[in-house]
Amino acid sequence: MLVAFLYDDVAGEPAGRALFEIHLETCARCQNEIAALRSVRTQLAHWSPPEPSFLVTSRQSAVASPQLPAVGQASWWREIPVWAQVAAALLFLGLSAGLANLDMRYDQNGLSVRTGWLKAVSQPGPPLLAPSAPIAPAAVARSGGPAEPWRADLAALERQLKAELRAAQVSAATSAAHPQPVRATTDADVLRRVRALLDESDKRQQRELALRVAEVMRDVNLQRQADLVKIDRTLGVVQSTLGVEVLRNRQKMNQMDILYRASQRQ
Amino acid sequence: MTWTDEELVARSISGDSDSFNELVLRWERPIYALAYRTIGREEDARDVCQETFLRAFRALPGFRGQAKFSSWLYRIALNLCRDWMRRERRAQVVQPAEDVDLMELAAAAEPSESIEDLVARKDLTRLVERAMALLPEEQRTAIVLKEYHGLTFQEIAELVGCPLSTVKTRLYQGLIVLRRELAKNTKATL
Repeated sequence: MLVAFLYDDVAGEPAGRALFEIHLETCARCQNEIAALRSVRTQLAHWSPPEPSFLVTSRQSAVASPQLPAVGQASWWREIPVWAQVAAALLFLGLSAGLANLDMRYDQNGLSVRTGWLKAVSQPGPPLLAPSAPIAPAAVARSGGPAEPWRADLAALERQLKAELRAAQVSAATSAAHPQPVRATTDADVLRRVRALLDESDKRQQRELALRVAEVMRDVNLQRQADLVKIDRTLGVVQSTLGVEVLRNRQKMNQMDILYRASQRQ
Repeated sequence: MTWTDEELVARSISGDSDSFNELVLRWERPIYALAYRTIGREEDARDVCQETFLRAFRALPGFRGQAKFSSWLYRIALNLCRDWMRRERRAQVVQPAEDVDLMELAAAAEPSESIEDLVARKDLTRLVERAMALLPEEQRTAIVLKEYHGLTFQEIAELVGCPLSTVKTRLYQGLIVLRRELAKNTKATL
């Protein structure tokens, strides 16, 4: 009855349960037994099997063939918890931004995003997104200079795109009355130019990264050499201090020896 | 619409493979858990689980509904576990890993669980696994079916083919052994 009471599985013997409850009120031994077994059950509740990777995840994957009730194979990345995936994505973005020396700024000029290691940090760049103030070619030239020819290309590309947009708007408004204006360049051309710009940017980033790595290596070597020199000097000081101490000790011992002999003679 | 197991079985017998898929989806976790707690190895529990559904699929036309589908499935799984243990000559079922994989631990963490709580939970799991491994097969089966699958004493008795009183005795004896072993191991780890 004790086990049946413990699991509340007293089907067919409700009277037995009532009797046991009455007994339990007066029997300390049974009370202790029930308490101990409940504690064991609490501990048992902590045992859960490892999450299987083979479980069926969709109705479609449950039966792969009409003969076998096959089970689907979950993708390996689904086993990685969501928080770990998010952390990995953030880490990747952070590393990428750090590697590219990404500089994002939002001020009265609008949002500006810059990248690269060779740019002057203190030199303010033109805002990329300034709705009320379009980028002037002079500003682009000032910011980019001869070292950044792609800025001029980008500005030219932007002007071209704006011109095309305006032309498209005009043509939409007057499409019934006027024929379509001939486009200076096709979309494929624009795409090609954008790709070329991106390729050039990639190459420049790689060059700058290599340069940066070389600089870091040089700095590390310099620091190492400086540290070695410092350690060498410190060791020299310690050695000289130790030598002085040894000499002093010898002198004291000699004096004690002299005193000892003098006392022996007396 | 949610079909009962018996309705899904009937539809499966008449050739509706989606219905059997539904049964697999519904019962694969309990069957896997039963196999794992009985034989203690994830890989083998997985094999037993798959083999259980394979056998059930093949034997489905012969299922007449004398018992519940779940009981029938449990019986197939328990027979397979018994065969596995006989084949492997294993009395000890669970071999918990001694080392702690921190990545695995971190992945298993509940959102509101600290690492200390997590380690404590893993330690307790290991203690329970070791204690369960010491039980004779009959006691272990009775405890697993009652404790983790919520079967009634009557269902367990029918499943393992023994009197109801025997099931209760096995369960009680098993709990006594577990109480002793868990207390011993808990003291040892402190």
